[in-house]
Formats: sequence, C-alpha cells, structure tokens
Amino acid sequence: MSDAAVTTRALADQRLKEAYFTASQAQLIWARFRKQRAAMVAGAVLVVLIVMGLAAPFLSPYDPTIAGRDKDYQFGAPQIPMFCDHNGCSPRPFLHTLERTRSIKTNFRWVTEINTEKRRYVQFFVEGWKYHLFSVELDLPGKMLDVRLRGIELRTHLFGIDEGGIHIFGTDSAGKDIFSRTLHAIWTSLAVGTIGMLISFFLALIIGGVSGYFGGYIDGLLQMITDAVRTVPTIPLFMALAAFVPTEWSAETRFFFISIILGLVGWPTLARRIRTHLLTERNQEYVLAAQLCGASPGHVIRRHLLPSFTSYIIVDLVISFPYMVLSETALSFIGLGLKEPVNSLGVLLQAVTNADVLLNYQWHFIPALFFIALVLAFVFVGDGLRDAADPYSDQHR
Amino acid sequence: MQFAQFVLTRAGMAIVTLLLVSFIVFSLMEMVPGNCAERYLAYKNTQGQSITVADIEAEEKRLGLDRPFIVRWVSWIGNVFVRGDFGESCILRVRINDLLGNKIWISLGICFVALLFAYVIAIPVGIVSASANNPVTNNTLRFVSYLGLAMPNFLLALMIMLFSTMVFGDSLTGLFSKEYRDAPWSWDKVMDFLGRAWLPIVILGWSATAFALQTVRALMSDELGKLYVTAARARGIHGRQLLWRYPARHALGPIINSLGFDLNRVFNELPIVAVILTLTEAGALLLEALARSNDQQLAGAIIFMLTAAIVALNFLTDLLLSIIDPRMRRSVMGG
Repeated sequence: MSDAAVTTRALADQRLKEAYFTASQAQLIWARFRKQRAAMVAGAVLVVLIVMGLAAPFLSPYDPTIAGRDKDYQFGAPQIPMFCDHNGCSPRPFLHTLERTRSIKTNFRWVTEINTEKRRYVQFFVEGWKYHLFSVELDLPGKMLDVRLRGIELRTHLFGIDEGGIHIFGTDSAGKDIFSRTLHAIWTSLAVGTIGMLISFFLALIIGGVSGYFGGYIDGLLQMITDAVRTVPTIPLFMALAAFVPTEWSAETRFFFISIILGLVGWPTLARRIRTHLLTERNQEYVLAAQLCGASPGHVIRRHLLPSFTSYIIVDLVISFPYMVLSETALSFIGLGLKEPVNSLGVLLQAVTNADVLLNYQWHFIPALFFIALVLAFVFVGDGLRDAADPYSDQHR
Repeated sequence: MQFAQFVLTRAGMAIVTLLLVSFIVFSLMEMVPGNCAERYLAYKNTQGQSITVADIEAEEKRLGLDRPFIVRWVSWIGNVFVRGDFGESCILRVRINDLLGNKIWISLGICFVALLFAYVIAIPVGIVSASANNPVTNNTLRFVSYLGLAMPNFLLALMIMLFSTMVFGDSLTGLFSKEYRDAPWSWDKVMDFLGRAWLPIVILGWSATAFALQTVRALMSDELGKLYVTAARARGIHGRQLLWRYPARHALGPIINSLGFDLNRVFNELPIVAVILTLTEAGALLLEALARSNDQQLAGAIIFMLTAAIVALNFLTDLLLSIIDPRMRRSVMGG
C-alpha cells in the first residue's frame, strides 16, 4: 500500500470526523434517524400518504361529493383494471363493459351485468371535473374571517376510462367513488389534525411556559387546572363541546370548529411536559454559565433554552398527531364531528355501521386500511424521531 | 401520624379536583344553547301544545333557573355531595338517579375489568419482552402494540360483529338476552350478563393492553440498565428471580401511578363501543343525551360520575403507592 493511499484515507477519515463534530443538530438527528429501518419505511409511507392527500383532486377520477356520483353503479364492487382476460392480453389495462339490462329473467328490474367480451381501456391524464389544486377556503361566521385562496384551476386527472366509470375501490350507497372520497378524506384528516395540533401547541406553550417559567403559586394553580382538565375523559368532553355546534352551520364551518375543539381539549399533556422540561432545564449548569457570562434572559432563552427544546417539541407534536386524527375519526363516527359533504375517514367509516353495508358491501372498509396506515406511519416516525433526537439513545442499548 | 396526615392531605386534594371538575362540567352544560325549561317546553310544543313566553318563565322559576349561575352550581354540587342526588333529567322528567341506577355501575365495572384484563396480559408480556434481546420478538410486540393504538376500537368491534354474524349467526350485541332484560337480578341473569359482557371487555381491553404493554416495556428496560441490577447479578441471582425481585418492583410504582389515567382512556372509548354493540349502559346514555336529546342535566351527571371514578381511583392508587413506597408521602406533603 502506497503512502499516498494512506494519507488520502486518513484525510477522508479526518473529514468524516470533522463533519460529525461540526454537524448541526438537525444533521445529527437525520443521521441517527436514517439508521432506523422501521422509521424510514414509515416515513416513506407517510410522505406518500401526504402527497396523496395534497394531490387528491388530481389523483381522484371523480368528484368526491354528490356531484360526482355514478347513477348507474350504486353499491358497486371495486373494479380492478386488468391486463389479461380470456381473449388475450393487452399492454394497456382495461375493464370489461357493464351493461344494464331488464328482461323477464330479471323480473323487469334493472340489473347490471358484466360483458366480458367488450373492453374499456384505462386512459391517463384525462380531462374531467374542474378543481382547484392547493386552494384554501374558510367560511367562518362573520365576513372578516373568510379566507379564499383560489389555487390553480385544473381539469386534468391522472386516470380515467373510455366510457362509463372506473371505481377501483367501488362505490357507496349514492354511487360516490370510494377511491376519490378516501383521498380527500386523508387530506381532511391531516388538515383537522394540523389545525387542532397547532392550537393545542400554542395553548400548551403559553400555559406550560408560564407555569414552568414563574413556578411557585402560579405553577401550583395552573397545574391544578391542568390536572382537572386531564381527569375529564376526553371523548365525552369532545362530545359535550361538539354538541354546541348548531346543526344549521355549513360543513366547512363545522370542520373548522371541530378542529378548534380538538385543539382546546388536547393541550394538557403537552403543557405538562413543557413545564417539567422548563423547570429542570432552567436550573442546568449551562444556563447558569450563560447567565454568569452576562447573557441577557432573551439571549439565554433564544440561544440556549430553545435549542434544547425544539427537537423535543417536534417529536411530541408528531407523536400527538395520531391522537388528533383518532379523536376526529371517533367523533365523526358517532355523528358529532364532521358531516357529509366533507369527506373524512370518520365520515366514511360511518357507512359501515349500517348492517346491510357491513354484511354485503365490505369494500367500505378500504378507507379504514388507509386510516390505520396513516396512524401507524405517524407513530413509527414519532418513535424514530424520539430515539434520533435523544443524544444518549446509542448508549441505552 | 404522618400517614394519617398524608391521607388527609391527599383526600383534600381529591375533593378540590372534584370541585374544579364539577365546575368545568357544569359550565359546559350551561353553555349549551337553550336551557332546560325552553327545551322541555319546545318538546311539548312538538306534541301539539301551544307554549307562551309566560309558560317558559314559570317553568324557569319552578326549576330555579332564574337564579345566578354560581348559586345554581353550588346547589347542584351540594345536592350531589350531600345527598347523592343529581336532580331531574331535562327532557325525560324523571330523577337521574333512577335513570342511571345500576347502569353507571355496569359501565364502571366493565371498564375496571377491561383495565384489569389489560394489565394481566401486559405486565408479564412487557417484562419478558424488555428482558428478551431478540429483535424479532421485540419488533413484533412493538408492531402489535402500535396496531392496538392505530386500530380504533369501533373498527375492531365492527369486525368482530361481522365475523360472529357470518360464523355464529349471532351478532353478540347487547348486554342481556331478551328474557333477562327487565328481570330483577338473579343468578341466571348474572351468568347471562357475563356471557355477553366479555366482548365489550375484550374490545375495551385491546387498546388498553397495547398502551400498558408499551409502558411496562419502557419502564422495565429503563430499570434493567441500572447498577443495582448488575450488582444483584454479580451476587449470583439470575433468571426469573432476578427480574421479579428487583427491577419489576421498581417498575411497578409508575404503573400504579398511571392507573387513573388508563381508566380515563378506557372511558373514552366506552360510548363508541357501546353504540356499536348496542349496550344499554351509561356510555350509550351519555351519547344519547348529548347527540340526540341534548339533555344537559343527564350528560353532566354522567360525565361527573365518570370523572369522580377517576379521581377516586387516583386517590386510591396514591394511598397504595405510599404504603409500598414511603418516599411518595414526602412528594405530596411537599417536604
């Protein structure tokens, strides 16, 4: 081995070490996170689900509301595009045609039959119903609070079919496409969770921050209130709050209100953690050292306390997110949360309580799989982040 | 002496929490649009009787709704604490105590047994999984316990119903068979009840188990790394004896401490599971009161009872802890 090779290796070694020692906190966390396979897989699933939610109108071939219903295919089974049938194969996926017939054989009722001789080919990038990508619309009581961002107006959809419909997850009782509804529901659930989480985060930051920063009597009083709120079971509390929502409110207003309720009830756990963290952290040596060096309180909070804190809070937010989604789903499921024109996973699952649907049309359970995947992905990512953000996690095991 | 003082302090704290909770619940119920008098008379109106403003005012006077908020809260809470009387239901016009009767005890019983079920499984499995170094076992357990979190109870209940309807031809819903529904309690009725109550218990216990498993595992793996375990191992103690005599005892403290909040979590799921399995207990009654009839008195009474059960459990677990671990007494007394 030549000397040159040894020096280059030593140099590379040196550079690696330097990269490690000068890495920012985010880089270190990312490096540790990447080592955990389960968390990486969950992260990939999560990204896919979020993109699916964001691009829901583009990906879904039909309008998820009643406007996009397929009159001729109610309670229709999922139609999986295929490449081969008894007449041979084709490079382009296709479906067989559906024909509605009525004759003496069917007692003169309309019956849908599959004609396996004729094919309908799946088309890509078809023009369909009009939608606005990335649009934000809030219609709150009072003109002042209305927010309207139109987004990009588009008509193109990822896929469609020659004639008739393509419903890869089947249709519900009104003929609405379950695939399109599921995609929009993922988006709704994410949005509700995000709004709820932000509200509970701010409440927790203020209440936990005041409690931990001042300590003493204020801390005692705030902790008592926090404990009392924590003692009341949340779902009954949600239910009591959601019962205020007047029935005549529009679906969008309701949506916003429910998110706020989720936020208003969800703060105690996080507030308690922030308070405990502040109480221990403000007595640490490094804070004392900074104070002795003459740092102002603002400087101590910004440069020393907050960095010790941010990764911790991000992790906590990721972990608490699935609970928001779960609560929304449970609330919508019992009929106190979101309602029909809005698609959320809880609203979709509500259909399954119908005994007829439960026994005969089991494809209504498909959205549940997405829901489970979403929650699992969040939990695993949160877990991985927690281990990655903890600088001592390597020494534990 | 010190112990008696501790018990008294802790009981005082529990009562203050209960008062605070009752105030929150009462204000919530107060914020529901429309009061009891209006709601009852509006209901009568739909039955064909004409109602005037004077009628509403007379009814408000009769119910004492013309008094200020704080006075009504004090009289409500006074009645509850002194006589255990929750007053009348808004819509149904019967005493809430008669309406709730043993339904609330059935609900509490189901939740307690579900919690017990959860820990009976979670403690041994959690301890074993923390001490096992097999990554396959660990990851499987992790996945199963997360699935318990991700799969909502109502979904599990629906799937079990679907399965049992297809296989046994019986949907397993309800708490009593038809012939026992209105019968007085007897041995046969108890057996019939037990034959049906296992399903809600298992369903409620499922996610509680997942949660408890994670807690037990995390606590155990923290304890296992500590020096006293190494010291015990150096003295030649090993295997099951080592696990049960040293780290398991230490891990037990925080678990007992969190029992109250675990019960809280089980209560959360109760109304939803109750609706799906058409149970006739307090959870379903609560949903009925909130979602359909808007019966604020009844809903308030149920939420208060559930919360009181949690506060009581927290009190009991603290007592238990202070007996096991004298250090706990000092933390409450602030000494």
